[in-house]
Amino acid sequence: MSDNLTYLGMEDQYKKYELFFGPNHPGMNGNFSYILTVEGHTIVKAEPVPGLLHRGFEKLVEQRLWLQNISLILRICVPEPDINELVYSRIIEKLMGVEIPERAKFIRTIVLEMSRIGAFLLGFGGIGGTTGLYTAPNWTIADRDYLLDLWEWISGARVYHMFILPGGVRRDLPEGWIEKLQKTIAYLEKRLPEYDRLIYNNPLIVKRVTGLAPITQEDAIKYGITGPNLRATGVKFDARKNVPYAAYPYLDFDIPTQTGGDGFARVIQRREEFEISLNLVKQAIKLMPKGEVRAPMPNALKFRVPKGERYVRVESARGEHGFYIVSDGTEKPYRMAVRGGSYTAGLIYAKKALEGMRIEDVALWMATMDICAPDFDR
Amino acid sequence: MIVLKFIGYGFTAIIIGLLFMGIGRKYTARIQRRYGPPFWQAFIDVTKLFSKQSLSHNWIMDFGILMGFAGIVGTILFMPIGPWHFFSLMNGNIVIIMYFMTIGSLGMAMGVSASGNPNSTIGISRALTLMVGYEIPFVIAVIGLIFVSKSSLLGTMVSLQSGGIMNWNIIKYPFGFIAVEMALQAMLGEKPFDVITAPSEIASGPMVELSGKMMGLAFLQHAAQIFLETGIVVNLFLGGANNIWEFFLKQFVLFILSLTVNAISPRFKFEDAVKWLWTWPTVFALIQLLIIILT
Repeated sequence: MSDNLTYLGMEDQYKKYELFFGPNHPGMNGNFSYILTVEGHTIVKAEPVPGLLHRGFEKLVEQRLWLQNISLILRICVPEPDINELVYSRIIEKLMGVEIPERAKFIRTIVLEMSRIGAFLLGFGGIGGTTGLYTAPNWTIADRDYLLDLWEWISGARVYHMFILPGGVRRDLPEGWIEKLQKTIAYLEKRLPEYDRLIYNNPLIVKRVTGLAPITQEDAIKYGITGPNLRATGVKFDARKNVPYAAYPYLDFDIPTQTGGDGFARVIQRREEFEISLNLVKQAIKLMPKGEVRAPMPNALKFRVPKGERYVRVESARGEHGFYIVSDGTEKPYRMAVRGGSYTAGLIYAKKALEGMRIEDVALWMATMDICAPDFDR
Repeated sequence: MIVLKFIGYGFTAIIIGLLFMGIGRKYTARIQRRYGPPFWQAFIDVTKLFSKQSLSHNWIMDFGILMGFAGIVGTILFMPIGPWHFFSLMNGNIVIIMYFMTIGSLGMAMGVSASGNPNSTIGISRALTLMVGYEIPFVIAVIGLIFVSKSSLLGTMVSLQSGGIMNWNIIKYPFGFIAVEMALQAMLGEKPFDVITAPSEIASGPMVELSGKMMGLAFLQHAAQIFLETGIVVNLFLGGANNIWEFFLKQFVLFILSLTVNAISPRFKFEDAVKWLWTWPTVFALIQLLIIILT
């Protein structure tokens, strides 16, 4: 036996064990894993292991025509695919110097906010799912389906819509669609008090998320945490306000913030932003002008984007979502890189946050942070 | 004859337990705005599990699972099911029942600990800790009833409750019933006390290494456990039953009550669950005991 292996050392060796918190674990959010070193019920070390969801999107984009990529890039993320279409289209528009019609801006805003609402509903369900309150995901996912019906009507697809294109949107809204959307929004507003009773005012959930892994403002900025998680620490930053795009400059809204940055602040922040998104859709419907929905664009087969590079970001439900694209003036992008909303939170900050956490809180922590594997693994 | 009686007891418990599980799934689905599986789904699940191959780590695992199942089915023999009594002289001794009931948990603990999976080990350590949590209020409430009945036999307690609903212990000793009902929620492992399985925390805990026939046996053990635990409360507080159908109906009411709480509750952290069980139900049980002693 080695001299270094003391009796105490042997005890330590058996005190700790390794727990694979991976895609086969029901608490894991997607195809991603943490290797946790656990002592009793407390995590002493967490190692994020991405790679299981790698599909090579950033390389695939280089091998396809600019417009072909529209049907590819949105598949990066299931819960909120529309942000990918928007970021990609905006980069092309900026490089080509195209100004999109006003109506298209409003339609984009409506679609984006619907997408946010859908993602928030999944997030609400996540809080229920990770605490065992399975009624919550069953309710919220069923309610999200009403939004998917609306998407199916305008794009023919329920999840991957391919509706936002460079120059505007694919087609104008069909007759009767707005009325159905208004009904859906009114329905979701009516459901909100029920969600409050079930999830946000539930004493057990409040008890479990209060004080859960608080983030300080300094840490949030240092680790590049964005979106509702950043705003839950009290920092008022939202890409929709600070770097406005689509029709957001025309809409009247205020960004709420919380204090403390703990699980409860993060959960309540999303709950409040959900209400704001419902309100934004209503405003956009009211202010939407008539007119064209797509600026004239060159033939898809002869589509070339002028030489240049751009980074464009939008506010996703999980935070700042951005693409960096380099064009060499040919018919295909030269290089693309994606920055997902929960990229730093799930990958880099997780090491710090999970240390000292109890194992029963890991899944709940991921739900309160809204960590999505495709944000850092594509 | 005794063998046939034994088989009859075991089969009744399992069939009623599985039926309750199936109806319970449908009921929960309706609360969750789903259609839900057919009420015989639990039978299909068990049949499928027994037709599959099972993986075993060692003989201790096999033995532990069998011991858990046998422990629960064996305990049911001591419980009066309406007019049915297996042991006519020792008609439902509650002390023996409570003593034997732990064999189920201990068997499961031995079986799944042998699998070596950390999730199972954590799950089973939680199960044993939770047992300490719910047994204290349950025992205090039962002591009160033994005191007033001057007997530890469920049969005697049932006969003392005969003659109408006003004689039932639920009316006479409501605080005791509240304490036992709260403890029953934890005994059944329903939320907010499902810390043992907790899928998002420990990947279903004890179940994680069970497969095929092992899983089928664990499923049957759970079905028998539902039958046993609701049955004890029916005998203790709901006046037993004159026929078996009345007995099953009363059990079903208790089970549905438990499922309703289950559908709208999230999960406690396991130490919070024990703390809660040592606070509220224990206080109710003590109040009841105090009232019994003072009156």
